[in-house]
Amino acid sequence: MALKRINKEMRELERDPPGQCSVGPIANDPFHCQATIIGPTGTPFEGGLFDLRIDFPDDYPFRPPKVWFTTKIFHPNISDRGSICLDILSQNWSPTLSISKVLLIICALLTDPNPDDPWRKDIAELYVNDREKYESTAREWTAQFATA
Amino acid sequence: MSDDSQAAAGDSPRTAAARDDASTCLMESHHREENQTKPCEYDPNVNQDELIMAQEKQIAEEIKANTSMVGSLAGLGSLEEEYSNDPVYSSKVRTLLPKFSNVRRTRPDGNCFLRGFIFAYLEYCIHHRDELARFKKYLEGSKEELFDMGFPKFTTEDFHEMFMEVVSDLEGSGSVGRVEAVCNDAGTSDYLVVYLRLLISAHLQKNAEFFSFFIEGGRTVEEFCKQEVEPMYRECDHLHIVALTAAVGVGVRVMYLDRGEGAAIVSHDFPEDKEPIIHLLYRPGHYDILYKA
Repeated sequence: MALKRINKEMRELERDPPGQCSVGPIANDPFHCQATIIGPTGTPFEGGLFDLRIDFPDDYPFRPPKVWFTTKIFHPNISDRGSICLDILSQNWSPTLSISKVLLIICALLTDPNPDDPWRKDIAELYVNDREKYESTAREWTAQFATA
Repeated sequence: MSDDSQAAAGDSPRTAAARDDASTCLMESHHREENQTKPCEYDPNVNQDELIMAQEKQIAEEIKANTSMVGSLAGLGSLEEEYSNDPVYSSKVRTLLPKFSNVRRTRPDGNCFLRGFIFAYLEYCIHHRDELARFKKYLEGSKEELFDMGFPKFTTEDFHEMFMEVVSDLEGSGSVGRVEAVCNDAGTSDYLVVYLRLLISAHLQKNAEFFSFFIEGGRTVEEFCKQEVEPMYRECDHLHIVALTAAVGVGVRVMYLDRGEGAAIVSHDFPEDKEPIIHLLYRPGHYDILYKA
């Protein structure tokens, strides 16, 4: 069941790829994928390419996929290990969501961080109290870790 | 006593702590060792959450291994035996006895109401072909309604298709055995449960103005649906039942077996003005199917 759904999503991603990202299986195993997000324009992540890993559980889509950044990124809702603080990836996952939707939501999170629910309290504080410093640091990280 | 706690614990693998604190990240599980060197992102909740998740998973696996999604038909005497050492419950079970003859137990995984509902309804439809035809027509139309409300077409249509396949199959070679097989096939059964959840969500959101008065925690109807209706394994509450029975147009009577005083059993009909065709037994945190004598 899970495989059927994952394959359907992969076919759709090939047929109609979302503008800001790409996804593909690692070593032909559809349960383990790699994705790349293009840093949204007008954000400190612009110009960067951010890699993510996606692991689907056996009972996908009834439980959420595990999604995490493998490229370092300076963001209040993304931990130093790449984990993403997003309710739809844990408690509030819905089987009607898809990887394509999840990546779009992650792109939106890059544009609009949620400092009320941070992984990195230090970055959240910076984002709230010193936006300029937040943006310059995030830009530095983007240049250092997310550009070829 | 023990069964009471079992039912309550069984149907709610999520702990109160995990549920209340929706803002706590539960996904952290990679490269944990790095955490030691990064005090800035140390979160005292993390390990606890991991523990909770691991525990939830273990409970869910145990439940899965020990109970069918919808069990076989059992005499009501089996309930009496369950409560032989519990005077409050056994006197209530005796009150049920003349009216009901059998019970079918459902898996306590948070989907029990929905599995109980759809099993009992499809079984009813096997014996009432006109109702099956009506349900099929309703289902057909429901898809467009969900799309119109903004449910993603790409995924929603899968759940819809599966439901239509099941109903069409029952139209042809329908038997109770077939309903048993369908409702116990993990893939199929879970797809039906998801679609019922979408129907509930759609009904609540369509009537948001009315339902907003009944939602706790300062949440909007849409937030409630995203948090308590659409995710799998979330228990169904009063609101879910009101919405589903109204949306599908099927009367359900719930018999409440609890620790309330006396041997009398409280029952409630959803919707109130509809003759019930499905009977469910409620014990704190769990629903099973009842059969009239």
